Amino acid sequence: MSAPSLPIRALDLLASEWTKFRSVRSTYWSLLVAIVTPVAFSAVVAFAFANSRGHGPPPDPLLPEVISLEYAVIAVSVMGVLAFTAEYSTGLIRVTFTAAPRRRAVLAAKAAVLAAVTLAAGELVAFASFGLVQAVLAGHREGVSLGHPGVPGAVLSAGLLLCVCAMLGLALGAVIRHTAGGIAATIAVILVPGILALLPSPWNGRIGRFTLLEAAQQVSVLHPATDLFSPAWSLLVVLAWPAAALAAAAVVITRRDA
Amino acid sequence: MIEVERLSKRFGPVTAVDDLSFTVRPGRVTGFLGPNGAGKSTTMRVILGLDAPTSGRALVGGRRYDGLIRPLREVGSLLDATALHPGRSGWAHLRSMAQANGIGQQRVTDVLRLTGLEGVARRRVGGFSLGMKQRLGIAAALLGDPPVLMFDEPVNGLDPEGILWIRGFFRELAADGRTVLVSSHLMSEMAQVADHLVVIGRGRLLADVSTAELIESSARRDVLLRSPRAAELAELIAKQGGAVTPQDDGALVVTGLDAAAVGDLAAEHGIAVHALVPRQASLEDAYLDLTGDSTDYRGGLR
Repeated sequence: MSAPSLPIRALDLLASEWTKFRSVRSTYWSLLVAIVTPVAFSAVVAFAFANSRGHGPPPDPLLPEVISLEYAVIAVSVMGVLAFTAEYSTGLIRVTFTAAPRRRAVLAAKAAVLAAVTLAAGELVAFASFGLVQAVLAGHREGVSLGHPGVPGAVLSAGLLLCVCAMLGLALGAVIRHTAGGIAATIAVILVPGILALLPSPWNGRIGRFTLLEAAQQVSVLHPATDLFSPAWSLLVVLAWPAAALAAAAVVITRRDA
Repeated sequence: MIEVERLSKRFGPVTAVDDLSFTVRPGRVTGFLGPNGAGKSTTMRVILGLDAPTSGRALVGGRRYDGLIRPLREVGSLLDATALHPGRSGWAHLRSMAQANGIGQQRVTDVLRLTGLEGVARRRVGGFSLGMKQRLGIAAALLGDPPVLMFDEPVNGLDPEGILWIRGFFRELAADGRTVLVSSHLMSEMAQVADHLVVIGRGRLLADVSTAELIESSARRDVLLRSPRAAELAELIAKQGGAVTPQDDGALVVTGLDAAAVGDLAAEHGIAVHALVPRQASLEDAYLDLTGDSTDYRGGLR
């Protein structure tokens, strides 16, 4: 038997991981939570925004959508972590690696399947929330339309957040190999840097601009903050977090006994 | 064929496998035998590329496992039947493994039928009994119709019917010309199915022999004798070059002469014999002789 070509082997692995992904219930529960929670929440946040105007400048019309998206972070992070830790905790990882000894290819296939699904979910949430939020704000004459300059890019970027967090979870799950530890680490990496916002100015911005959630907000709002990186650089920061974690996973996954 | 060459594996200060070499040949069932903790599972994990050896190497069909493009078509293995996602169906489990190796859906159906699981294939495996999980693991090992098969303690959890089924199954696989390696810590189990034995203890090779040879080589053979004139007979036996060990209950245990010779001798001298029993050490005894010094965890009642 001649060896199948690389693209065919890649498709085989993707098909295998796709079968695994859709054959357990936790996938559907996590997705349901990840989609329904932020969409529902965005309307609530929009009402709160619309009804609590103080004396300052009007709030960013995209902010309610961005804030509510953050409520899906935990669900997709857990999904990401479980991609590997569910296999490590049951010993199934040995079956996986005997069926596919090229471990980095397994990592890539798992990441690709999860990235595709969470990206689709994230964009769905982003655009649905945007529609809902603007419908609420429009009643208060503060809404913006999708045709407004800068809005499509910002909404698209907001949709990235779920995929980014899922990738972070997947990578940390592969490194830590325990579900509880993986979830704790992922949540910590995403949320704990938020404490830096409490630092005195200008340090809150100088350090905060490197944090995932600050950078994610920066790329997803209509009026970016001035003490953080530009949206383009912030997008790089957003992508650098999962990229670094995945690189670490790629290094350790081949070095350790399964 | 599986070749293990000067394989060592250390976990920190613990040496699990120590300079182990053996070859598993096709066409017969090879038993991989040793007490718990002897290093059988570690050796199998190294063969499958799951654990990296500290030194030495293991080859399957002349190649390292992690160099195989579609490994399930070359090696089928079952290490731990309980290593399953409880929420996934048996069918989805096998399907995902098959897809990773370019194996079609029809083969998944086939191996499920072969292992008698077609009726429960769509059920979540969390509800499977250990025996059903073993069958699912065996189905997985067969997916790629591989020339080499490896099973780690496959009999655990099977009911008597399942044990009979699996023994016949191993013999069939070997009769097909496949290489079959089956590990166990039970000699009695291996005696039923293995043609050849690789025995290890504390990670070292203790024996690499045919099952028959192992019995032959370390068998104590003797003859148990009872006679009302035992003392007289003992003298005669000694004169013929046999050795006699009197037992507490008056019986004699004779070595150096076989039962026929002892019987003839008694008849020649008109001595009645009440019992004349040729005895052979069991395979279990041979195994205990071999591994006696290499058991890590010994019971206290000795």
